[in-house]
Amino acid sequence: MRVTSVLRAVSHGRTPLIKFIGKRSPPKSVDHTPHAHPASPSESLPDSFANYRSKAQQHGPLAGGGGSRNTPSAPISSLTYGAVGGRAGRKLGPVQPKQGEYFDRNELPIRFRRTAFTEAEMEAIQTGGASLYG
Amino acid sequence: MLKTILPRAAQRSVLSASRAGPSKLSTAPAYQILRQVRRGYATEAEDYDVVLIGGGVAGYVAAIKAGQEGMKVACIEKRGALGGTCLNVGCIPSKSLLNNSHMYHQILHDTKKRGIEVGDVKLNLAQMMKAKDESVNGLTKGIEFLFKKNKVDYIKGTGAFASEHEVRVNLVDGGEMSVRGKNIIIATGSESTPFPGLEIDEEKVVTSTGALALKEVPKRMVVIGGGIIGLEMASVWSRLGSEVSVIEFLGQIGGPGMDSDIAKQTQKILQRQGLKFKLNTKVTSGEASGDVVKLELEAAKGGKNETIEAEVCLVAIGRRPYTAGLGLENIGIELDERKRLVIDQEYRTKIPHIRVIGDCTFGPMLAHKAEEEAVAAIEYIKKGFGHVNYGAIPSVMYTHPEVAWVGQNEAELKEAGVKYNVGTFPFTANSRAKTNLETDGMVKMLSDKETDRILGIHIIGPNAGEMIAEGTLALEYGASSEDVARTCHAHPTLAEAFKEAAMSTYSHAIHS
Repeated sequence: MRVTSVLRAVSHGRTPLIKFIGKRSPPKSVDHTPHAHPASPSESLPDSFANYRSKAQQHGPLAGGGGSRNTPSAPISSLTYGAVGGRAGRKLGPVQPKQGEYFDRNELPIRFRRTAFTEAEMEAIQTGGASLYG
Repeated sequence: MLKTILPRAAQRSVLSASRAGPSKLSTAPAYQILRQVRRGYATEAEDYDVVLIGGGVAGYVAAIKAGQEGMKVACIEKRGALGGTCLNVGCIPSKSLLNNSHMYHQILHDTKKRGIEVGDVKLNLAQMMKAKDESVNGLTKGIEFLFKKNKVDYIKGTGAFASEHEVRVNLVDGGEMSVRGKNIIIATGSESTPFPGLEIDEEKVVTSTGALALKEVPKRMVVIGGGIIGLEMASVWSRLGSEVSVIEFLGQIGGPGMDSDIAKQTQKILQRQGLKFKLNTKVTSGEASGDVVKLELEAAKGGKNETIEAEVCLVAIGRRPYTAGLGLENIGIELDERKRLVIDQEYRTKIPHIRVIGDCTFGPMLAHKAEEEAVAAIEYIKKGFGHVNYGAIPSVMYTHPEVAWVGQNEAELKEAGVKYNVGTFPFTANSRAKTNLETDGMVKMLSDKETDRILGIHIIGPNAGEMIAEGTLALEYGASSEDVARTCHAHPTLAEAFKEAAMSTYSHAIHS
């Protein structure tokens, strides 16, 4: 039996399925954990998604385990991947590596690495600054 | 001393400040110095919040939306014109030719019975093409204006990933530049799938791009593929005087999603217009070395072979994602078996700040789907949430009459084991269609047997492409067929057929 028919019988009027549910508001919580795209033919993501995240999260703000040393690892679902300013930097915990972990500057994105010497600078160093006056 | 503890990049800024006003440096509080140090670490050129690779429908919409959200945005496009396939060699030019060829055909064959006698009617193909080009140019220039209005940096060139945050651009005008983005969105679209063994020259063997720019009406045209693109182009050239044959491997025309009742009716109507169809037929090989194109055909379920010849062969067997030259190997993003970029529910690749929208990833290759994704992707970046309902994306075929549908068809519901009601209403019983002398077609509605919620709407008839908007809205809002049926529709309109189909689904139509 159709719902609309039932409702009509009960209330002697019709209750449409379409209802005004009020102004749209941002959802209170959004699960940002990577899931398969709704239009994807396969219902799973390749392992590379988790692998990349676990690698990228070793030290940085994407870290599943990048929370405070005193707090257990934050669950992945609580993190905002790729959102600009999704969370304040200080809320992401200290950037110090855990005991036994070490930063390698070369693993960081280029903008965090040391600025490379230019040819002119190298030449200036090698010539004791003379090249600047050549 | 200060110099030694500061990073090298910071020194210039600190020292230049000291040169400008040494007293300032000596009295500056510690936080000011720290701020300058931090600045020193930043890259010299400021990163974009979003970089779009591709200025097609997905890319340009995302760029404008990002601009509206106050983000610093750049859009890289190599074509030299914005709008991608849709505006330049797809939806828009084809609609121009479809509309004008329909008018020509109508003047030749349809006005006499309406009491309009026209004298000598001639086709001026060059002018028809010019009208098409003017429409395209006007629209692409319109997007450039919107870019300026929304402060989008438009970079004309070919972008390729140099690293996860850097896109190297080969500029159209020569030279190279590098663009860095906190977020990068790939929106490189799709291209026609070639037919193995037939080399596309866009003159004799053409894709939809060539079919939109033929210099003369071919005496005969053969179309490989009876999907939407194939049938639209077949309609154009048939109306202009070509003998058109459509070869389709499957047992019905229209491609995936079209309801079989609608597909059968469409085929009958198009046959009446002069198109010839060969269904369940496979093209085994093709030869285009002489003046004509020869195709070897074989009945799909085993039958006699035959050869078909035509001056022009349109290859319309589908489209495939276009990602060549994007430098994906530099960042290790993977493709699936159909060369689509793999993404999650928020359009992110495995590298979270690189997203993909439009034809080069999952979902139907439709411009309006790409637009929805573009807005959603920017909202995910900016606000953390977005919305695209993949169950309510309409499809339209702009033949005459038009065919449009949204939601599920009968075969899909049967396969899913869903019990449903069917309601139909023919345009022959619609007053406006009668007065317009355009009564071919019908509206078919499918709703859940239990709840009456609308599950699918399929229309063949005049203005179906506009009418499907009402169906899409109903589907998006989760309306019942009774909701639609009890909504007042103006009289006399074609949309009344929609209402009556809804009435027929939950009860009875009045006029049939």
